[in-house]
Amino acid sequence: METNNANVNEDNTKIQKSPSGLSIIWRELVRDKLALVSLIFLIVITVFVYGVALILDQDEIVRVDLFSIHEPPGEEFILGTDYGGRDIFGQLIIGTRNSLSIGILVTLMTGVIGIVFGLVAGYFGGNIDNIMMRITDFFMILPFLMIVIVFVAIVPSYSVLTFSLIMTAFLWMGKARLIRSKALQEKELDYVQASKTLGSSNFKIMFTQVLPNISSLIIVTMTLNLANNIGLESGLSFLGFGFPESTPSLGTLLSYARNPQTLEYRWWIWVPASVLILLLMLAIRNVGEALKRATDARQRRG
Amino acid sequence: MSEKLLEVKNLKTSFRIKDDYYAAVDDVSLSVNKNEVLAIVGESGCGKSALAFSIMGLHNRAKIEGNIMFKNQDIANISPAKLNKLRGNNMGMIFQDPLTALNPLMEIGDQIGEALLLHNKDLSKEKRKDKVIQLLTKVGIPRPEHVYEQFPHELSGGMRQRVVIATAIANEPELLIADEPTTALDVTIQSQILDLIKELKDDMDAGIIMITHDLGVVAEMADRVAVMYAGQIVEVSDVYTLFESPLHPYTRSLFNSVPNTAEAQSKLHVIQGIVPSLQKLPREGCRFSARIPWVEESAHEEHPELHEVSPGHFVRCTCYKHFNFPDSSKEEQQHGIS
Repeated sequence: METNNANVNEDNTKIQKSPSGLSIIWRELVRDKLALVSLIFLIVITVFVYGVALILDQDEIVRVDLFSIHEPPGEEFILGTDYGGRDIFGQLIIGTRNSLSIGILVTLMTGVIGIVFGLVAGYFGGNIDNIMMRITDFFMILPFLMIVIVFVAIVPSYSVLTFSLIMTAFLWMGKARLIRSKALQEKELDYVQASKTLGSSNFKIMFTQVLPNISSLIIVTMTLNLANNIGLESGLSFLGFGFPESTPSLGTLLSYARNPQTLEYRWWIWVPASVLILLLMLAIRNVGEALKRATDARQRRG
Repeated sequence: MSEKLLEVKNLKTSFRIKDDYYAAVDDVSLSVNKNEVLAIVGESGCGKSALAFSIMGLHNRAKIEGNIMFKNQDIANISPAKLNKLRGNNMGMIFQDPLTALNPLMEIGDQIGEALLLHNKDLSKEKRKDKVIQLLTKVGIPRPEHVYEQFPHELSGGMRQRVVIATAIANEPELLIADEPTTALDVTIQSQILDLIKELKDDMDAGIIMITHDLGVVAEMADRVAVMYAGQIVEVSDVYTLFESPLHPYTRSLFNSVPNTAEAQSKLHVIQGIVPSLQKLPREGCRFSARIPWVEESAHEEHPELHEVSPGHFVRCTCYKHFNFPDSSKEEQQHGIS
């Protein structure tokens, strides 16, 4: 009976297509309520922060106002002011935007460099692989923190872009190694050889065949990396090696807490930024974990 | 005699193992004509696939010496760009395992279309799709319009092998190399696939190199047979001569190892030992001598060469003149094979 029905259905209706990648991810997100809430939170925060930052005037916010130093939250300043009389709420918005921008920029740039480097090294192998991996090793042994400190001292004024470039220069190696190891595995598969027998060039095989087959790994690591990069930027700014106070970021807001007085009595300066960093990183992680499960059929919940 | 399509002369493919090069394909010469199936048989590890990969130029880091003349053009030392023009267009390859030979993330239509696109940039999208569906129909896939949009994991093994074949023949190549095309398939599908390859051969007037270790496939498909052992060809002949009067001890052992329904055998013949690994391969003397120890040393040639025993029938080494299968009971006593 059942087979009969199936046959009839096959003839009458269009045969069901297997779920696409996006619908699998969506199913996974719907199953995992925490990840769904996290994703909504991320979208809302991102849209809100980038939207409001368009209206806000950064120069206005970072201008020192001696008449309103250390004001607690109130009607004029929703989240109070810092020791320069600057509006914390405005700094929080612009700071979140800057931190997010850096996180996304660094993730994308390290991703591109890592993918190109790792794919080329892994796909060609041999001496090319050897040379490229030694270059990677060289970058890995460089003391990241020290060089960033030197950079900050040398470069007179840096923007979101230049700061991202500095961070990118020292953060692409992990991805390159990861993608190389995957590419090494992937290039041995018959479909790569089969594609060669069709007359495809190496670069075409690399970027249109091997790359899509390791894309799930790349998407997951890049998502989880985004959280790391935001945390890293905040850490550097907290230590004073990130942005100056004229360019607020979540890290610069945190760094006010280095003052014991602020830490103890003026919670409104550093608590919102800390909570926001925590929530952002947790939310990105949750989404990343859901993506990770979606890419592996054995772990899927949906 | 019809036109020579591919002529391999003294091909030597060596792989590097710990700073030394070891030849996996050693001094192989063979030729394929148009509309002819040349079968290459041999045990696992005797260099069949290495030979096929050498012809297609798929070895990444191997030293390839000798000539591979494809339509009077030496493709052994050709630039990658020129080789890419030939591959897929004039030469196609069917792979052993259809499970891995297809890109899991590409729709079937795109995979076959890629072969068309690479060699014919002017073909419009609609025409390409028509051509792909035509190809799918040709290789006997039901509902090609539907399969066009499916992914490899949605198809069965036999269907996938058909897709692999469709990809290989997309541009109607003159030379088709089939590397054990039926090993991964079950018996009923095997015969269908073999019939399909035969049909395509007649359609396209193509030369086919069929690599297999299945003597049944050889009998079914081949016009000529080359028997390979340890990187060398030990016997070449047309298929009828070979099946009627195999000469080389290795060929005879192979035939003897196949179950025979006509005669009742209590035990199957087993060729002693295994194919030696690349590094341990004896480079001098008869390479098969180690596996037929009861044949006297003097029976082998010092430098075994292919001798023409009858027109078109070549045998390596002289040991075939002195070779006899040992008495099976004695063999068991001596070597403990049961």
